[in-house]
Amino acid sequence: MKELMRIEGLKMYFGGLKAIDGLDLTINQEETLGIIGPNGAGKTTLFNAICGVYKPTDGKITLKGQEVQGLPAQEMARRGIARTFQISKPLADLSILDNVIAAAGVHEYTGMRSYFRKSHTPEVVAKAEAVLEETGLRELRDKKASDVSLGYLRRLEIARVLVTDPELIMLDEPCAGLSNFAINEVTELVMKLKAQKKSIVLIEHNLPITMKVCDRIMVLSYGKKIAEGTPEVVKSDKQVIEAYLGEEDEE
Amino acid sequence: MGAYVYSIGATAAIFILLALSLNIITGYAGQAMMGHAAFFGLGAYTAAILTQTYGVNFFAALLLSMLVTGACGALVGLISLRLQADFLAITTIGINFVMVALFNNLSITGGSLGLTIVKPTLFGVKMGNRQFFWLTLILIVVLCLLIVKMRRSWFGMALASINNDAGAARSFGIDVSRYQILTFIIGTAIAGLAGGIYSHRMGYICSSDFAFVISIQILSMVVIGGIGTIRGPILGALLLTFLPEVLRFADDYRSLVYGALLVLMVRFMPSGLIGDNSPLVIGSKKLLGRRFAKKGGQKA
Amino acid sequence: MFLQQVINSLMIGSLYALTAMGATLIYGILGILDIANAGAYLLGAYVGYYVYHATGQLILAFLVAMTAIGLFGVILHRAVYGPILAKPRMLSIIPLVAAVGLFTLSSDAVRLLCGAGTKAYNFRFSTDVLHLGSVSIQTTWVLIFALTALLLAVLWFILNKTKMGLAWRATAEDPDIAKACGVNTNSAMALSYVLGYGFAAAAGIMTGILYNSITPALGEVPSYKMLAIIVLGGLGNPLGTVVAGLIIGFAEVMLSTYTQIPIPKDAIAFVVLIIVLLIKPAGLFGQRNKV
Repeated sequence: MKELMRIEGLKMYFGGLKAIDGLDLTINQEETLGIIGPNGAGKTTLFNAICGVYKPTDGKITLKGQEVQGLPAQEMARRGIARTFQISKPLADLSILDNVIAAAGVHEYTGMRSYFRKSHTPEVVAKAEAVLEETGLRELRDKKASDVSLGYLRRLEIARVLVTDPELIMLDEPCAGLSNFAINEVTELVMKLKAQKKSIVLIEHNLPITMKVCDRIMVLSYGKKIAEGTPEVVKSDKQVIEAYLGEEDEE
Repeated sequence: MGAYVYSIGATAAIFILLALSLNIITGYAGQAMMGHAAFFGLGAYTAAILTQTYGVNFFAALLLSMLVTGACGALVGLISLRLQADFLAITTIGINFVMVALFNNLSITGGSLGLTIVKPTLFGVKMGNRQFFWLTLILIVVLCLLIVKMRRSWFGMALASINNDAGAARSFGIDVSRYQILTFIIGTAIAGLAGGIYSHRMGYICSSDFAFVISIQILSMVVIGGIGTIRGPILGALLLTFLPEVLRFADDYRSLVYGALLVLMVRFMPSGLIGDNSPLVIGSKKLLGRRFAKKGGQKA
Repeated sequence: MFLQQVINSLMIGSLYALTAMGATLIYGILGILDIANAGAYLLGAYVGYYVYHATGQLILAFLVAMTAIGLFGVILHRAVYGPILAKPRMLSIIPLVAAVGLFTLSSDAVRLLCGAGTKAYNFRFSTDVLHLGSVSIQTTWVLIFALTALLLAVLWFILNKTKMGLAWRATAEDPDIAKACGVNTNSAMALSYVLGYGFAAAAGIMTGILYNSITPALGEVPSYKMLAIIVLGGLGNPLGTVVAGLIIGFAEVMLSTYTQIPIPKDAIAFVVLIIVLLIKPAGLFGQRNKV
């Protein structure tokens, strides 16, 4: 498998708090990588460090041969890193379609030049609509994002990710807070993307789904990697079981 | 049209420019700007000093005052990156007060005596209310067209995204800081333009013309009309310019009515009279059915 | 001479702290910049004036004004601010515009009801001025300073030693969690207004006594200056407000006495604020910004 992103010696320290303490990780192309760990292990912090929301305290992140650690979020987005958020962040006043169109402009937002380029061209609208179709949101096209339930919002964030033609799809707990029905729908969507050979990194608390969907899993605890491997390997790892002890996690 | 109408019209037109420019900063970019009159004044004084002291051509002076004001707006934009909403609001109030204090104390601005301006000539004719009215009206039309184009462009999508969720905006490539600074530059530059026109139309300016209370008036025009739209600030400016004239008989109660109007609007119709979510607009949309549905869901 | 100015600074600064306290308490709970607090200041001055001249009792004037204006604040919250804040997702300037409207309304109402002219409190002690060594202090200043210190001490006591105060601090910290823990957040909000508007009213009376004149324009300078002070102190931080009030008091007295800068006294607060914010964007003490 070809390497897409390499993380070496990543450290995220917030004052005295060592949220991530020396992490090495390789993300491969066409692979679905799962990141699991107890609450507070540093999973979202890892995402934020990769996506440019946080500037790493130390360490190196290489994307397709280029060093990208410390670049701001919008720059990472332009380099093909697309993410969803643990707490859904829709553009509330805009329609579902406009939410996706907004993301479609990822390479258009260049300051004053963006003033001279029309956003809702037939090509862009068609592309956005295609993504809505793919994520099952076509009927909600004209609905305001603030009027739509969480299950759809999570799919909307995935639609926003897809329309940018990303190199790497990063999903932060896409099933959190959803009904069983909605969880199934989201899982199906992720499986569909996996079948399309997309590169995916997934944070999920829902262990059965993670085991089912992911090719490889990394386990984080207190900012350190405590296990890595296929779902079977990770499932029976002693340290992993210990870390989760007391966390009745078969949700 | 009588001379009186041109006189009021010129004033209204200047304030329409101010309201539209403030709306770019507060409505489209969602930034707290409570000191817009400071830039109005900066443009007014800059243009006046250029034409009166340095003999610069009126129109060139307008352009230059836009540059100066926009540059200061860039500074405020930079400040806005460091300060969160409420802190920024108070800081812009502070900037207003400090600017007015400078206008009132520096000799180049005439100090507390203010500045007298000789009205410029256009094609050999001395410019009066009539000429200023038409000049400003043309600028308003141009500005509206430019704003419509902005709303339909990726620039407009960037602002809408930032306004809704800056974190999400960054996640799909928007440099939030850059766009914030740009909107401050654009908004303040247009206020400077309005100021340059104002000083030459009035023939005399002093620091109190640009006090904090004026910033509030401009903000009220935007809020009452409907923040975040083009039609809102225009209506707001027209209303708050013409209403005091219409209500001249109740002149003594003007502030009372004004204050009550603000409170009632914000309490019951925070989207403004003709804003996107105002009862009036939603009601007329229902009445006129699908005629108001816009392509791709975008609003003008 | 210098000591005299220090004493003056202390007096002015502590009065500023009291005047600004209302806005800080309200911001702490509700996250809004209540310019209308200056309206409470103005109304307090006038209510106190009428009660004092009707009864000759200064303490009564204080009590009546503080209670009445405090209750007025609660009504204002029910009628205006509460419903506005209950609406989802709005720009932070919207409550500010409402506050400005309320302030304009109250200022003009006072002008129409009480006349635009100046009214004099004419409150005097038998000794006008106290002389302590090289320093002279007006006796009224001493009274005001003592009252201010007393009120601030009462506030400290309420906030730190009573159950209501604990409820306030919990709600200010995180209203949702406070509610979940069974804290009566509504009464915390009411407390903000009662104390906040009551203190402003008291400060208004004190100003009237000190300068011996009140006009309907009394609230104009405090309306924005107090905002500068509470932001300087770190929004919603009562202790920060006291410190900031003192700092501005000192800055104003010292700068106007010893320097010739072209900035009018009332704009000094903003200059200080801008300088501080450039270095510390959250104010001197603040971390709390309710966005």
